[in-house]
Amino acid sequence: MFYDLNIPYSASHAELQRILAFSAELGYNVVALNHNVTEKLPAEITNAIPSPLPFNPPSSLTLLRRCTISLSDPAQNARLATLAAAYDLLALRPLTEKSLGQACHDLECDIISIDLSLRYPFYFKHKMVADAVKRGIKFEICYAPGILAVDDGQARRNLISNATGLIRATRGRGLIISSEARKILAVRGPADVVNLACVWGLGQERGTEAVGRESRSVVVQARLKRTGYRGVVDILYGGEKPVAAPVTEEEDQKTKSAKGKRKAVVLRDEVEDAANTKPVSKREQKRRAKKAKQDAAEAEQGDAPIKTIDAQGAQTTVSA
Amino acid sequence: MVRVKHRYLLLNILYPEPEQYPWKASLPDTIQFHHPSPDDLTPQLLARAIKDQISILYGDYGAGLTNNGLNIKYLSPATSTAIIRCSRDNYRLVWAALTYMTQLPKSSRFAQARSCVMQVVRVSGTIKKSEEEAIRRAKNAILKAKKDAAGSATEGLNAILDQFGPDVDLEVLRQKRSKPIATLEDEDDDDLEMMSGSD
Repeated sequence: MFYDLNIPYSASHAELQRILAFSAELGYNVVALNHNVTEKLPAEITNAIPSPLPFNPPSSLTLLRRCTISLSDPAQNARLATLAAAYDLLALRPLTEKSLGQACHDLECDIISIDLSLRYPFYFKHKMVADAVKRGIKFEICYAPGILAVDDGQARRNLISNATGLIRATRGRGLIISSEARKILAVRGPADVVNLACVWGLGQERGTEAVGRESRSVVVQARLKRTGYRGVVDILYGGEKPVAAPVTEEEDQKTKSAKGKRKAVVLRDEVEDAANTKPVSKREQKRRAKKAKQDAAEAEQGDAPIKTIDAQGAQTTVSA
Repeated sequence: MVRVKHRYLLLNILYPEPEQYPWKASLPDTIQFHHPSPDDLTPQLLARAIKDQISILYGDYGAGLTNNGLNIKYLSPATSTAIIRCSRDNYRLVWAALTYMTQLPKSSRFAQARSCVMQVVRVSGTIKKSEEEAIRRAKNAILKAKKDAAGSATEGLNAILDQFGPDVDLEVLRQKRSKPIATLEDEDDDDLEMMSGSD
């Protein structure tokens, strides 16, 4: 299973449909459509991505909906929880060192997605990043800005330097790789991405996990947080309710004809039940047990069948 | 003497951009992505483009490292498949350069550029294995396209493919290629050579 957890959602559906078809062709199984929020949150939070989509996505793809919030001012994040409830995944995009620290230490989210195509005046500290990884938050490397050589390769240079920095700071743990491809030309197959990560200094194993297992763990944890009980227990399948068998005409007639009698039977049963359920004293219990034992012994002595095997080997049963 | 070891990259050239001809736009997506390459794409041209990309990415140092043994072994414009040989130590650099490619090389100044995506689908130590994989993939692609298009026509094709078996297809591929495979370079039995090849 391969995951691409960042395909920007755009209103031009023809392009989006093509990107999704191409992702499926390259071998991805799960794709998250991303909605970016850069300004202040609106009063009423709704999901900006329609579900189901207005076109037919490829049937082999599982689609998720994700929201990415740009963080620059530390005070603006009062309603992250309501936003998280509206989407399948919630990602934070810190723009300053301070907001990165805050995202790592306190804020409740699933992914920290730093825009790696920009140059930052700080470097990623292991302690800060490790805190986030310990809390189960993954760091995301988006490779697409480096693929298309926009602005004369500067984005690619920044991306590689930031990615190697991030790999160094996390020691390769808790990383996921996704595309963030605005254009279809920037999407690459999972194996190609793993190789790129290898060249950047992430091992082959870690790279494969970054597009597979780590991404899956993000998705599963996010779902558990939203639907499960305290993020621990989730009911996947609770079984079906037994369907009452439809009453056929014959049975219906029978019950109708026996209606008067049945009532009496039911009544008698109830009376007997009541008698049986009356608590039995210990003495009475012992007495009954003794009687049962005696009966059993008599039965064995009296007419218990004896099994014999005759000369031919055939088993016969003879009563004594 | 120890032999020089290589890696063979089996490559699919995909065309994700929409077709310019409207009558082709109605084709299923799979067929559009696996479009045949233009006829003027030659192995030399492709090799040139890869080397250029490598020197853009890694400069002279990278170009020098990967230049040894970099070679296009097979290129079929009809199926948009290629097999590239490169040295074993630096095949990841070549692969990354392929990943960064977004355009087919132009044969002349006036030819129109085509954007493409290079997808490496198999890395192997012997050319035989990558050849088999290429045949398997081509077969699957045809079956899938047929299934997408109609659904009923598949059985006939399946029967034909099964009737001849994989050997015949291999022959067809061999005849199609521009030059014969250098069989001396097949590295099927690495272990045997390790034992006997210390002359």
